[in-house]
Parts: sequence; structure tokens; C-alpha cells
Amino acid sequence: MGLKELENKSIYIIREAYAEFDNPAILWSTGKDSTTALALCRKAFFGEIPFPVIHIDTGYKFTQMYEFRDRIADEWGLDLIIARNEEAMNAGMGPEKGKLECCTALKTEALMQCLDKHGFDALFLAIRRDEHGIRAKERVFSPRDEAFRWNYRDQPLEMWDQYQAQGEDQSETDGTILIHTRVHPILHWRELDIWEYIKRENNIPVNPMYFANDGKRYRSLGCEPCTSPIDSNAKTIDEIVEELRTTKIAERSGRAQDKEKAFMMQKLRALGYM
Amino acid sequence: MMSVNVVLVGHVDHGKSTLIGRLLYDSESIMDERVEEIQKLAEEYKHRFEFAYFLDSFEDELKEERTIDTVSLMFKSKKNYYTITDVPGHKEFIKNMLTGASHADVAVLVVSAEEGVQEQTRRHMFLLKMLGINQIFVVVNKMDAVEYKKERFETVKNQISELLNSFDYAAEEILFIPVSAMEGDNIYRGSKGMEWYKGRTLIEALDEVKISEEEKVPRFVVQDVYEVDGENTIVGRVESGMVRRGDRIIFEPSGIRGKIKELKIFGGHLEEAREGDCIGVTISDGGIKRGDVFGLVESPPKLTKQFLGEAVLLGKELKKGETLELRCGTAKVRCEIKEIKEKIDSETGEVMERNPEKINEHDAATIVFATEPLVVEKFAEIPELGRFVLVKNSKNIGAGVVLQTNFFS
Repeated sequence: MGLKELENKSIYIIREAYAEFDNPAILWSTGKDSTTALALCRKAFFGEIPFPVIHIDTGYKFTQMYEFRDRIADEWGLDLIIARNEEAMNAGMGPEKGKLECCTALKTEALMQCLDKHGFDALFLAIRRDEHGIRAKERVFSPRDEAFRWNYRDQPLEMWDQYQAQGEDQSETDGTILIHTRVHPILHWRELDIWEYIKRENNIPVNPMYFANDGKRYRSLGCEPCTSPIDSNAKTIDEIVEELRTTKIAERSGRAQDKEKAFMMQKLRALGYM
Repeated sequence: MMSVNVVLVGHVDHGKSTLIGRLLYDSESIMDERVEEIQKLAEEYKHRFEFAYFLDSFEDELKEERTIDTVSLMFKSKKNYYTITDVPGHKEFIKNMLTGASHADVAVLVVSAEEGVQEQTRRHMFLLKMLGINQIFVVVNKMDAVEYKKERFETVKNQISELLNSFDYAAEEILFIPVSAMEGDNIYRGSKGMEWYKGRTLIEALDEVKISEEEKVPRFVVQDVYEVDGENTIVGRVESGMVRRGDRIIFEPSGIRGKIKELKIFGGHLEEAREGDCIGVTISDGGIKRGDVFGLVESPPKLTKQFLGEAVLLGKELKKGETLELRCGTAKVRCEIKEIKEKIDSETGEVMERNPEKINEHDAATIVFATEPLVVEKFAEIPELGRFVLVKNSKNIGAGVVLQTNFFS
């Protein structure tokens, strides 16, 4: 798809979700994908995002990510909510206790607590199909139950942009309590599309960690202990676009939690991970 | 470059996932790490390396050796960008097949040279026809398993041609390609084992696809109304045709008329907007709601209260007289199943019963729907507003197309 088509489809999805749900919010990691998703929300709503922006803070993020977050939140006037699982953080949770356990406690559970507190019924997430095989199987509107579980064996029928926005009456009909729906406005974008779009738009902020420094750059941003840079000399957006046109290295190759064991990502996601 | 959406359909185990895996691999779209990961998984699960593993990502899919849910992957050839969609070949996953197929421009029907036409070959054919996907290629796969014999290819080809004709496709205009997804014959490169085949490879055939761009009358669906800089801005999508600043328009069902003052996007204005564009529109009057559709005064949207549709049911049952919700565009209305005219076998396309009291899961039917006032168009004329989903207890349980608007039997 061309950039215009990608953008149109995303804006359509964002406006559909905003019309269908009472209390949505968007997750923002400060990375390139969710920052692009925020930029698309700004377009959809003519500049002002009419719902809160959640940053899940594990306490392990890179300093540059916190700086970037605070600067952009201020520039764009975001209604920022910082979600932290203080109890687990105080109890010393960390990747050395197991990556599945750490991601679950500091990300998934932090998000659960945030949803409990604010009662959001829809969450925008900037995942993309080409990032990971499991994410490729997602719907645009994807329901989660009260324990955040993703029933991937029985996903909704989703045809012709008729996304299924399940309401709470679901509980009366088949006993499942639907807590929230994940909305994926950039599911159809590829990594290269994101960078080409950032290049074209010329006003989407980019965390400097994506640009090469001493022959290394980050291709995907996460927590400091579990994220490594790749070898690269791409110092500008143009050079990143060029690099991605030819690379055979996977985008999330620097993300440790994906590859501890087979189907790790599926296990994480079945537990409510993003 | 053109963007083309391709869906692969066909019976279970006829090699759809393997074929896509092969296309991705041969077009060098697979990351090195993914190949290593698959090799590791194959060892762990004591399977041999399979191209299908590039697509089947659920643990259950690998264990059960079958595709459960649809997946779309992107790759590019020298000519086009492709989004290629794999769908499950089991009857129990028809819902996922429809989800995957609904956006396709082109379908590739995969049939095993060993087994020929099977149940899901027929059902998928029927559903493609209903979805209005008229551009089809047929791939006769697993030619390696029949020693690349031309005779076997011809036999299977004849069998499929008969099926295509029975679903009103012109079989003689459809390209049949003998391939082996496993070995890579006639997919990205030609085949040494099948020198008798002089036709195009699959990628050559796909690269020659044309997507029709015939100009349709303008239709715009309203998603919402926002206040932007103190002004009511109607946001939505141009579903067909083109709209321009200054156009005289009419909204239905609200009945409001007006002239387009501005076409807005964030930080600017447009003079015109085309099919697919998501924009904001301002007019002098208020009162527009989500679900409204506008068109030009000279070619206004048609309001209907009763229409004839063909639908397939994914829920348990649908009874005559029942009320449920129908969604078309952004409209959401109550509808009554006024009459079930014909119950149709979604495998064979044959009429099973006339005027039945109900239909069951996986049945198709022609149905008279009585609705609250609604804009629908004939699927054959403006497909974007000629297709609908049926919703019961907040779940999408069926999908269909409009055969005739304002239909009173």
C-alpha cells in the first residue's frame, strides 16, 4: 500500500474506535511506531488527541526515552498517564527473575492496574503485522477478557472494515466478561512504511537512539537490560530507509524477551502482553 | 508500483501456506533470523523444515499441522507490492477464511494434483463468488507428487473447470498453473520437470493483474461529527467516486441538503477527495449523524427499508421473523429477517430448500431484510455500500451482499 492509503486506513480505524467506545486510551512506548500512531491520531482529530496517552513505565527504560517522552508530551499537549506496577518494582522485579515473569509483572500487570483504575474500554496499540508472526494473526479490533486473555482460537469475523466492537452485554450472553478491546490502527504498516512516512511527514519526532552512534543503532526500543542495538551506520532518516530496503535482519532481533524460548511471544501475548 | 491484495484459498493440506512461504522465500522477503528460528522449531517439534512455518505462527498450528487463523504478509516483486493472505482450509474456520478474503483483489485457488477438487475447494469458490472476487488464478499444486505428469494436470484442470463454470466463472479465461510449492516449480522460476508447460509462472501472472478503476458515483460515509475550530466538521470516508469543494450534496437517512464549504484535513484544505480518502467536510447546516451517507444531489444515495440480500451464516442459526442488527458502512440498524427465500449449500451453491423457517451455521441464503431506513446500494454497482454484516449479541455472525434494493416480494 502507498503511504496515503496506509494513512487513510489508520485514520478510518481511529475514528471508528473513537465513535464506538466510551472511554479509549492509547499506549505510547515513545518508540517510532506508537509515536507515528500518535501523529495519526493528531491527524484524525485535527491536532488534539481527545483521550489519554498511557506510558507503561517499567523503571528500566533508557534515560533518552524518558527525556523524549516528557518533551513530546509537553509539545503535543498530551494527557499523559504513567502506569507503573509499584508493588512489583519495590519488591525488586527484574529480568534476572525470568523474562516472561518480568514482562508480565512490569508491563502487563502495570497496564491491568491502570485499566482498573481508569476503566478504559478500548486501548489503541501500535503493533504491526510484519513485526512478529503472532502479531500478524491479530484483528484490527481484538477483544480481551477480564484476565487480559486473547482467545486467538476464536477471533471475531472482521470483514470490509466492519470491526466488532463488543459491548458489556456480552457477559449476559455467554458468560465471558469483556474488559477491553485492543484497537490496532497501524497493523497493516511495515517497518519500512513507518520510516518512509516519518520522512514524508517531516514533523514526527524521532528518539535519537534510532540513529547510529559508533556503528550501532537501536531498531526497536524496549527496556535497557533486554534491548540491544544492531550494527548500522544509518545516521539519518534517509539512511534508515535505505538500510531497511535491503536488510535481512529482523526488526526485533535486539529484543531479548521474544526469543528466550519457542513461542515466547505467543505465551506473553496470551497473558495480555502487547 | 501498484498494491495488490491476493488471497490464497483451497482445501486443507493442498498447500496454501507452503505456497506463500515459497513465494516469500523466493522473493527474498524472509529475514535470516526467521529461517533460523524455523529450523530450530522444526528440530524441536521433530518435523522437517516446511515453508508453511513462515506463516503458521501459533504453537497449536505447528502441533496440529494446520492453519487456524488467517494471516497477511507483505512482499514485493519487480512490479507490485503484494499483501498476500493465507486462510485456513478447514470448514470450522470459515469465519477466518472470510475475514482474510474480504479485502482481496485477486484469488489464487490452490488444488492438490493428488486429490483434485475437495469440499473446501468448492466452498471457497462459492464464497469468492459471493464476495465478488472475479479475478482468479488456479494453481494445481504438488505436481512433484504426481511425477510432473501433464495428463494428471489436465484431469484436475478439467475437474476444476467444471466447478468454475458451475459457479458462473468463465473457466476458459482463467489461467491454470501446474506448480510444486515444495520444490519451487513455476512459482518464481520455471520448471525443469514440466517443460510441457509453456505458460506464465505464478509471479508473472500476478504481476500482470489489473485492478479496475472505473469511475463510480460519489458516496461518502459519515463516521462522526467533530468540532474543529468552533465549526462542526463531518468526518468520514469517500467510499466511491470523487467529491469536490462546492458540490451540492444530500445526506440520507437524515435528508439534509447542503453545499460543501470545505474539505478539511489536519493543517489544510483540499479541493477534491477521492475514493478511500478520510477527510472532514463542512456544510452550513447541522444535524448530520454517524451512519449518514451523502452523494451528489443529481445522483443521491438510495434509501431502502427492505432489500434482497445473499448472506452466509457463521453463527448457530438464523430464523425467519428474528430481529438483529445490520451494519453497512457506518450505519447500524435493527433489521428483521422478513423472509428466507432460498437456503443454499455453501459447498455446492445448490438450493437446498425454498422458504425455510431457519438456516444453520455455514448455510448461505437469499433473504429479504426489513430494516430501519438505511442507505444500501446494489453490490454490483457500488460494492462498498452493497455489503453488510449481521450482528447478534454484539458479535458479527454473518455477512452478505445486496442483490436488490427496495425489494418487496
